[in-house]
Amino acid sequence: MKKEFHQVIRDRNMLWLIFLAPMIQLLVLGYAINTDVKNIYTAVYDYDRSVLSREYVRSLSAGNYFIVQSSDLPLLDADRGFTENRFNVSLVIPPDFSDRLEQGLGVAAGFIVDGSNANSAAIAMGYAGLITNKFNRDYTGLTMPITMRPRILYNPEQESVNFMVPGIVAVLLLMITSMLTSMAIVREREVGTLEQLMVTPISTPALIVGKTMPFAILGYIEMSVALAVGIIWFGIPFVGSWPLLYFLSFIFLFTTLGVGMFVSTVTKTQQQAMFLAWFFMIFAILTSGFFTPISNMPQSVQYLTYLNPLRYFMVIVRGIMMKGAGLNVLYPQVLALIALGLAIFTFSALRFSKRVK
Amino acid sequence: MKKIKYIAAKEVRHILRDPRSLSIAILMPIIMTLLYGYAINLDIKNIRLAVLDFDHTRESRDLVGRFYHSGYFIRSQSEPDLADPEYVLKAGDASAVLIIPPGLSKAMTTGEDYQIGLSVDGADANTAAATTSYANVIMIQFLKDHLPPGFEPPGVTLSARVLYNPDLKSSHFFVPGLIAVILMMISALLTSITISREKETGTMEQLLTSPIKPRQIIIGKVIPYIFLALLDGVLVLTFGVINFGVPFIGSEAVLFLFGVIYVIAALSLGILISTVANTQQQAMMAAQILTVLPSVMLSGFIFEIKNMPIVLQWISHLVPARYFLLIIRGIMLKGSGIDVLWPQAAALVVITVILLGVATRRFRLKIG
Repeated sequence: MKKEFHQVIRDRNMLWLIFLAPMIQLLVLGYAINTDVKNIYTAVYDYDRSVLSREYVRSLSAGNYFIVQSSDLPLLDADRGFTENRFNVSLVIPPDFSDRLEQGLGVAAGFIVDGSNANSAAIAMGYAGLITNKFNRDYTGLTMPITMRPRILYNPEQESVNFMVPGIVAVLLLMITSMLTSMAIVREREVGTLEQLMVTPISTPALIVGKTMPFAILGYIEMSVALAVGIIWFGIPFVGSWPLLYFLSFIFLFTTLGVGMFVSTVTKTQQQAMFLAWFFMIFAILTSGFFTPISNMPQSVQYLTYLNPLRYFMVIVRGIMMKGAGLNVLYPQVLALIALGLAIFTFSALRFSKRVK
Repeated sequence: MKKIKYIAAKEVRHILRDPRSLSIAILMPIIMTLLYGYAINLDIKNIRLAVLDFDHTRESRDLVGRFYHSGYFIRSQSEPDLADPEYVLKAGDASAVLIIPPGLSKAMTTGEDYQIGLSVDGADANTAAATTSYANVIMIQFLKDHLPPGFEPPGVTLSARVLYNPDLKSSHFFVPGLIAVILMMISALLTSITISREKETGTMEQLLTSPIKPRQIIIGKVIPYIFLALLDGVLVLTFGVINFGVPFIGSEAVLFLFGVIYVIAALSLGILISTVANTQQQAMMAAQILTVLPSVMLSGFIFEIKNMPIVLQWISHLVPARYFLLIIRGIMLKGSGIDVLWPQAAALVVITVILLGVATRRFRLKIG
């Protein structure tokens, strides 16, 4: 085990890669991954120009959802504005807007949305609907006796960073442990020192532990640094229990180290190892619920995700950090991780020892 | 000219002799298109909703039914606990809980004040926003339908119209972007391997001592990969359009033209990487980091550039995928033409020139 540490530290290039690259990724991703739908450029065609219509437009621009500007393009040419991406929404207020409202009638305003980004479009329509309802309540004195009050739990600032960064931490852990483990073992095989080790009187289990432990420790260090950066720099919350997170990460590591070992048994060169580990990783990330909810995926893919350890760990990390969830809530994920961890690790360890012999 | 052709022909033979490169070039794009296209679905639907109906009247059942039949909400995995209804949110069994206190039916006839509770898991802000919006829409429609007939509700209503993608399918946004990312990845990967492979096997010295100029070597090496990458592009595009039903409104010819420019830019980036890396392994890793990550994160592929901090917005100007994304989405979804998209194409040309220039200079330095 000490030997492995020495080897890792001696390889300067690798060291940079291990620590610097993920940190950069964390920072970049933390800032870039922003799924908030805000600052939607909106062109307004106000044909009424009354106090009331201006009030309505003003209410739309409150909060930073819509950035409202009058358009210099005539209405008939408005689609140039869309194709040139000058604005993504246009609002058309008819000339009888205030007249009808003052008479207590209903009036329709046109709301044209660029549908290319379906997600943003749906959310933009949602925001506009909510704002319009509020306007109706405030300015026309219409109150519906039956109302619905939504209450948003966890993540009160509604920042997508809080949702993404825990996910990134989980991904970093996966990356470090699976990729590096596989590459390190393969490198030894390439260089030939692996055979030397097999000749020595070290037992196979000790060999396996010695090879994987350093990377587990590295993974922990990496995770801690990433968490620190996330909390201090990005200000994400940590509501739950630290010891629980570290303990559950340990179980998660069984699966990732197992995958790393497995990859090392089926590849011959470091390059192949990196490639295969990368492939596993991408697959795991995509189907873990990191970017997109699993419930959105086709049924067959959803079944596949039950085999993905990252899926369970994602729920665990987010649950602990954002909701303060404990074992009583998370036990299904923990059980699944234990099962997967045991299966993968034993399977890989057996393959590994067979290779050794 | 002849020298370039010679290098190009040699490169083609190398490619054909290396089955691994070929399989990367042809199989990987297809697999990636299918995988990413199906796995990543940004539509917000199938939101798990738990319902506690304390009213048990025809009206309350109607309301609950509307939620579950809207296409947006599905039943949660477990029933909410009466004592702690929001526990299901913590456990992740549901993303929202609808609580209908007793008295809904009564309130609708007497007009007294009454409030329905909706607790939403705010962890994923986007889903939360969509949940409250959808719920609001359903609520309003429910109320309208139960008003006396002929009664037109006063106030503003929005007459909404969606351009370019009336069914709001997220694949329309996503798949064109996927094409851009895959093209970039494959191109950079392939070319980064090629030069470092020559360095590793030592044939590079042979090339350099020959009377062929470095510029010709580079151009000769790139040409076969242009064809390969374009073939990939057509493959991925066809898959995208057929499998995911993404429309193609604009001109194929314009897309092809700009596609060539983009591919050359991507290949140039690969060449540059390969002049820096010493081994194939380093080249592959560098290719991944320098092309995949920026192309996916900073190009506007999934995440809006204008929401990012200024520094990242500047950096995204250096990412070729950013420009091609605008191009391909513009052509496929909006039918934009050269008159709208020429700035993006010009930017790509500039980037290509810079990349090739630096690559050539590095090449010369290595010789001299």
